[in-house]
Amino acid sequence: MGFLSPWFLAAAGAVALPLWLHLLRQYKREPQPFSSVMFFERRLQSSVKHRRLRYLALLALRIALLALLAVAFANPFIWRTETIGGHRKLTVIAIDRSFSMRYEGRMQQAKAEANRIIDGLHGQDFGQVAAFDSHVENLTQPEADSGVLRAAVDSVQPGDLASSFGEVARAMRVLSQSSGMDLDVHLISDMQQSSLPPAFRDLQMGPHTSLSLHQAGKSDAPNWAVENVTAPARVYGEKNTRVTASLAGWRTLGATKRVSLVLDGKTIATQEVSIPANGRAQVEFLSFGVPYGAHRGEVRMQPGDKLPNDDSFAFSVERSDPRRVLLLYAGGRPQQAFFYKSALESASDTGLTVDSEAIELASREDFARFAYVVLSDVGDPGDTLNRALEDYVRRGGAVLVALGQRSASHGRVPISGERFTEQRQAEGVGFLDAQHAALAGVAHLDNVQVFDWMRLQPKTGARVLAKLADGSPLLVEESIGEGRLLIFTSSLDNSGNDFALHASFVPFVAQMGRYLAGGEETPSSVTAGTPVALRRTREKGTAADVIGPDGRHELSIKEGAQALTFELARAGYYEIQRADGRRTPIAVNADRRESDLTTIPAETLALWRNTGDTTTGAQPSGAERQSEPRSLWRYALLLVLAAALAESMFGSRYLRQERQAA
Amino acid sequence: MPAEVQNRFLDPAVLAGISGLDLVAKTVVDGFIAGLHRSPDFGFSQEFAEYRAYTPGDDLRHVDWNVFARTEKAYLKRYRGETNTALMVLLDASASMGFGSGPLRKFDYSKYLASALVYLAHLQRDSAGLIVFHDDVANFIRPSARQGQLLRLLHGIDRAELGRRTDFRRPFFELQQFLKTRGITVLISDFFEQPGKLVETIEPLRFRGNEVVLFHVLDPRELDPKLGGPALLIDMETGEAIEASAEYARTEYRERIGAHVEELRGKAQAAGLDYFLLRADRPLDGALREYFTIRQGRI
Repeated sequence: MGFLSPWFLAAAGAVALPLWLHLLRQYKREPQPFSSVMFFERRLQSSVKHRRLRYLALLALRIALLALLAVAFANPFIWRTETIGGHRKLTVIAIDRSFSMRYEGRMQQAKAEANRIIDGLHGQDFGQVAAFDSHVENLTQPEADSGVLRAAVDSVQPGDLASSFGEVARAMRVLSQSSGMDLDVHLISDMQQSSLPPAFRDLQMGPHTSLSLHQAGKSDAPNWAVENVTAPARVYGEKNTRVTASLAGWRTLGATKRVSLVLDGKTIATQEVSIPANGRAQVEFLSFGVPYGAHRGEVRMQPGDKLPNDDSFAFSVERSDPRRVLLLYAGGRPQQAFFYKSALESASDTGLTVDSEAIELASREDFARFAYVVLSDVGDPGDTLNRALEDYVRRGGAVLVALGQRSASHGRVPISGERFTEQRQAEGVGFLDAQHAALAGVAHLDNVQVFDWMRLQPKTGARVLAKLADGSPLLVEESIGEGRLLIFTSSLDNSGNDFALHASFVPFVAQMGRYLAGGEETPSSVTAGTPVALRRTREKGTAADVIGPDGRHELSIKEGAQALTFELARAGYYEIQRADGRRTPIAVNADRRESDLTTIPAETLALWRNTGDTTTGAQPSGAERQSEPRSLWRYALLLVLAAALAESMFGSRYLRQERQAA
Repeated sequence: MPAEVQNRFLDPAVLAGISGLDLVAKTVVDGFIAGLHRSPDFGFSQEFAEYRAYTPGDDLRHVDWNVFARTEKAYLKRYRGETNTALMVLLDASASMGFGSGPLRKFDYSKYLASALVYLAHLQRDSAGLIVFHDDVANFIRPSARQGQLLRLLHGIDRAELGRRTDFRRPFFELQQFLKTRGITVLISDFFEQPGKLVETIEPLRFRGNEVVLFHVLDPRELDPKLGGPALLIDMETGEAIEASAEYARTEYRERIGAHVEELRGKAQAAGLDYFLLRADRPLDGALREYFTIRQGRI
């Protein structure tokens, strides 16, 4: 170590000041008269020794403060050997763990390639292992220990998600910025074309990053897969159902496959299907009788190929009796239920039937037995019933409130309590939120006229799903606890509008019924990586639960009580119990984009490789090194700051003691 | 005036602001008496002695009505005070009494105490005298109940100056010559002396039938010194200098002065002497009230 400005060291003589203050000045105490010293003893410990001990820490800090200040100004430095060229190098090994890596032998090849790269690292070179599919997961931190890197490579297992090279490139750009090191990225993958992002610029690597691409497995391997299965998630009543499967081959020759429909492990039906070369075929299983209850279905294709996991497609199906909807009407007006009941029950696939009842009799009902409840212009339901309905909604129930002439006299929406005013002027329907699940597939209500309706101001957080031509809400959704409340600001019969007389009334009622009954959330199968909602709010309520494909609970107790969603990351059958109590079986299949093993053209790979800084990776680890002085004045100044802080703390402490003693 | 207000007035710091010992003494004693529940039975010489048959002209307030109710005869309570007890106040004026950490030095506080005692004796028509001493007798006023005695005593107390060292032997030797009648001797001092030697010196007074009361006056800082750091202490009597640390003052010194007080208290009580410790920051009337309560309970 040396000093660039050694003359400043002369200032270190200032340490004499605290020495004088602490050791010499302390001796000069003013004598104090005292009545009698007969109880004091002449002992050295009572003065000099104690004084020295007491102020030793303060003295040391003050000397250190002055000495460090002098050292900082003297600008100390050390000689440090550095590689010419600036940045340190980090070798990143990114291994593809997407579904396609389940192809015979590919993961083993990828691991062998990764270990070969690790073998090539020099003793002090840093390496980092990451695995990727739709996301990139760093399995290690920058690490010089090859044993740690090998263990991380061994831990990589193929999953069921699709791979995304765009995500890899983004992660490497972030890593390059955050680490400040040169990156030598080794990407080991089967190089599927389906993994490319829509725009090539998303593959751009960052500065100081070199990219090496390592292919695992042969290019353009042939593969057959059960691409899709169409099956109803729910079957109601005694009706038989139909299952349709789509089979596909990529870079395959024409072949005949045996396709089986399997339910709960038992083969129900089998068909022979010819799949043309590099083409698709459909299979249809008609009059499929599903027993009551929830079942695990599967369409299986045989003989299999080298990627067996996509040779079958899982789905779930449940048969149950139609669920009942409770429609409450004002006493003496049972005709209010006529239009709604007729429309809902005419839609065959809703699995809903309507029980209508006068509201005066509703207090005895257990609302939880119904798919949802409809309040058809009931006016004031009364406090007791209102509280019971609110409690029902809060715990996950659903209610559709229709406001008519009888409600106008009450002036408040049941359950939510919003105020409204009656309007008697004809308006058309101006806006319909067809993106919302409650109105999905409902055509625009062009000719509908609403002539008696209620103008209300939606609460904060409420969502307006349909509006009248003048902008007033026609259909409003509010979330209360775990449940849903839909408010239709006119009547459900023909007393306030002519909607019930139009054909569009049937899909409107049916889709809204499906939505309120919760049926829209449970398709027969989903793709791996799909998130599923467990609850609507974080309000304290029943815990949610997820049982995974291996039969284990996927959530801890804390997660079950708080999680809003859960990502279905693995293929297989899940059982979801939502916070509102509904239990749903869901089948999850790997993303079938992964079944197309077509690889990226060589020229595209070359272009991608060139987006990196090609000079970085070529730089040998034994680059020229030279020694250069590295200044330490910043560190000395930091020490000065620390000493000053400590001195002020000690000093104030002693001062406080002195004051207390005085 | 409420007692707490009176107590506030009688704080030593307040007493220091009152000019004139007579006023101080009156303030203290009035405050002290105002705080008593049974003021007629309090004082040095107001102990019950006997009943005497009522004779016309006697003050009806002294009739014991309880006895009258039982016997239908009127009796008066007689008190020892009516036998004219002599009160002798010995005031230590050694240099150490000049120490004080508050508004009052120990010597000032002791003067107020002496004034209050002679004023109390005056109220009870007892004869009272004064000896101011250090290593010699500085002033002596013979006990008397004559008119003007109170003023003489207060003047003597007021005029007292600090001397040098304390020497109990010489004043007590002289005192024994002066004390011809039995009475109460009150000794006010800081007693910076070996307890054994001190009691040995004072004890002979007790043999003559005298009651001896030791008022041990100490400054709060003598009991609990607060040294900011190492300090050079100069003995006010001997001029001896000694270095002392704050830690020593906090620990060992406190133990030693505490042991000294306890030894003095024990030896005094063993010799039949009354002992009462007074902190110089304590309201004087309250201290006197406590002392007389203890004294009455013992008798």
